[in-house]
Formats: sequence, structure tokens, C-alpha cells
Amino acid sequence: MNPRFTRAQLCAAAMTVATAILCGCASTPTTDANATPLSSPAALPDGHYTLVVNGMSCPKCISNVEMQLTRIGGVTHPLVDMENGFVTIDIVGGKTPSRESIAGAIADAGFTLVDVRGGVE
Amino acid sequence: MPSATSPSPGVLIPRVQARAYFFDGGQALLEEAVRLEYGIARDLSVSAELPLYQGSLDAPRPSDGKFGLGDMSLLVELRILREDLNAVDTVRVALFGGAELPTGTAGFAGDSVNPVAGAVVSTILGRNGFDAAARYTFVTGDGMTNPIFVSDTADDFASLDLGYAFRLYPDAYGEEREAAWYATLELNSTFTVGGEREVLLSPGLLIEAPRFAVELGLQIPVSSRLDGQPDLRLAAIAGLRLLF
Repeated sequence: MNPRFTRAQLCAAAMTVATAILCGCASTPTTDANATPLSSPAALPDGHYTLVVNGMSCPKCISNVEMQLTRIGGVTHPLVDMENGFVTIDIVGGKTPSRESIAGAIADAGFTLVDVRGGVE
Repeated sequence: MPSATSPSPGVLIPRVQARAYFFDGGQALLEEAVRLEYGIARDLSVSAELPLYQGSLDAPRPSDGKFGLGDMSLLVELRILREDLNAVDTVRVALFGGAELPTGTAGFAGDSVNPVAGAVVSTILGRNGFDAAARYTFVTGDGMTNPIFVSDTADDFASLDLGYAFRLYPDAYGEEREAAWYATLELNSTFTVGGEREVLLSPGLLIEAPRFAVELGLQIPVSSRLDGQPDLRLAAIAGLRLLF
């Protein structure tokens, strides 16, 4: 005869696993893009920049990052170096996108912007 | 199994997956599922999945290559944690909820709206990826008269999945836009309130490129206690995922 589980038992088991999943991993909430420490100025003039990005762990990250960054006016030629967590971009046309918009695009792609370096034309 | 990697806002990910189930006595079932996943906000996505079946089972189940739809699954996924540890390593946790809708035809699915709730964690540490998911389905109807799967009865059921992926290639990422090859291994289990269970071991291969991914795999039963369903011997899986 089959052992029967009650709905409460099975639901509790699933919830226990779910809770273990959440408690075992949840140390901080989803990263706030505006809370990332950035050494660059608030508005980025034309130039070549290197974005330091955490969490790009698979090839589709490349497409995600490129899609989100190129939605920002003035941002062109994103190039992802996954091993080092670098994304190089050019900012052109005098649009001076804000670093918050860059951080937001990286967060929209599913990753964390750690720093923005460069700015050399 | 689900993962906690949601599509970005405005990004559509269509996925087509074919599964060939081989049961005792030469019975077989082909499932072709189309899944659309769309990012509606930074940490919020929706998905819809509709399976199409072709059955060659013993009567009274669908036989002689009969076609029919399965139940559509509509889910909303909310990512509640994204902890990016360094350039590659990351931990993500998501909650999801929704319902299975009674779109089934020709004896391939039930006829009730079944609410679903669950959680999933995905972790990537270097070349190693780990997934764990728990999902509970509240079955509101009477189930199928002639169930095919363990989840086709009138009983609520819990699905618990564990997954591991090892990146075979490349050893390390560079600036090249090359596909990554992963060896995958999953343990997919389903337990019903009525005491039925099915545990499957699922080895596979995943090839992931910036714009697409291909998955190939097998599902091998390692433990089952069924009541009326045909005994699964093996399932073969092939899937394609695109990124728009």
C-alpha cells in the first residue's frame, strides 16, 4: 500500500526546501544599481570607458549587456570581456549619459556595475 | 527545471523543447513544448508554455499517433536576490507563481485550473553551476481518468529539482564570442499527496551562445511508485532557446 502524504505535509516539505533555498542564499536584497560605488563623474562626456561588471557568467550575458547599453543614447561599441568582468564602451555625440543610467542598464541586464573607468577621447 | 535567470526588460526568449517518452510495452509519447519568456521589469518576468502531444499508447490512452494539447502553464517570476560576487560568480533567488490552465485536449491533460507556487536558486561559481527548485501544484480538479504522468492524478503534487552544470569549454572566458559547452546533471522528482512518486536522473549537454542555446539530454527513472500510469523507461530531450 502506498504511503500517503497529506497536503499539509507535502506543502510543508516544499516550503521547507524553498525556505532553505532562500535562507541559505539570501544575505542581501537585489542590488540597487544606484548604490554601486563609482569613481567616475555623474555625467560621462565623450570618450572610451571600461565598465567593471560583476556576475556575467554565461555567453548570453554578452547579448543582454549589449542590448541594454545600446538603448542609452550616445553609448556605442560595447565589447564584453567576461573573464575579467570588463565591458568597454564608447560615448559619442555629446549626449553625456549619467553613470546612473549606465548602472541601471547593467542592472536591467541582470548584473552589477562596480566601477566606471576611463573617459579618454 | 526552472532557473533564477530572468530575461532583461523588453527581452523575449522563445524556447522549443521536444521530449520523447518511452514507456513499458513499446508505448511512446512525443511532447513538443513551446515556451515564451518575457522580461517586463528588472527583476520581473512572465512565461507561457504550451505542450503539444502525439501519443502512441495502449488504449484507452491516446494511441495510433493521436495529437492533442497539454495544459498551458502561465507563470510570473520575481527575482528577490541577485548577489554578484565577482566577475563571473553569482547567486540568484526567485519566487514564481501562476497556474496551469485547462487547455488540454484528446486525453492528454486534466480539465482544471491548478495554481502553482515555488522558489528557485541558481548559483554559478567559476565553471560550476547549481540550481535547486521547489514547486507545489494545487490540483483543483478530478485529474485524468487515464493518467499518463505522475502529475496527472487528482492529488496535489510537489516537484523538487536539483541541477548541476560543469562548463566543459571554454576553460576561461575571453573577449571571443564563442559558445560555452556544459555537461549537466539533474535530479527531477515529483511527489503526490496520494503517495505516488517519480524520481528521474537527467544527464545532458548544454551549448550556450550569446544568441541561442541548444540542450540535449536523457531522463532515466531511478525510483517510482505509480498507480495506473505507464512505467517510464527513458525520455530523450532536445531543445532550442533563442534570445531576442
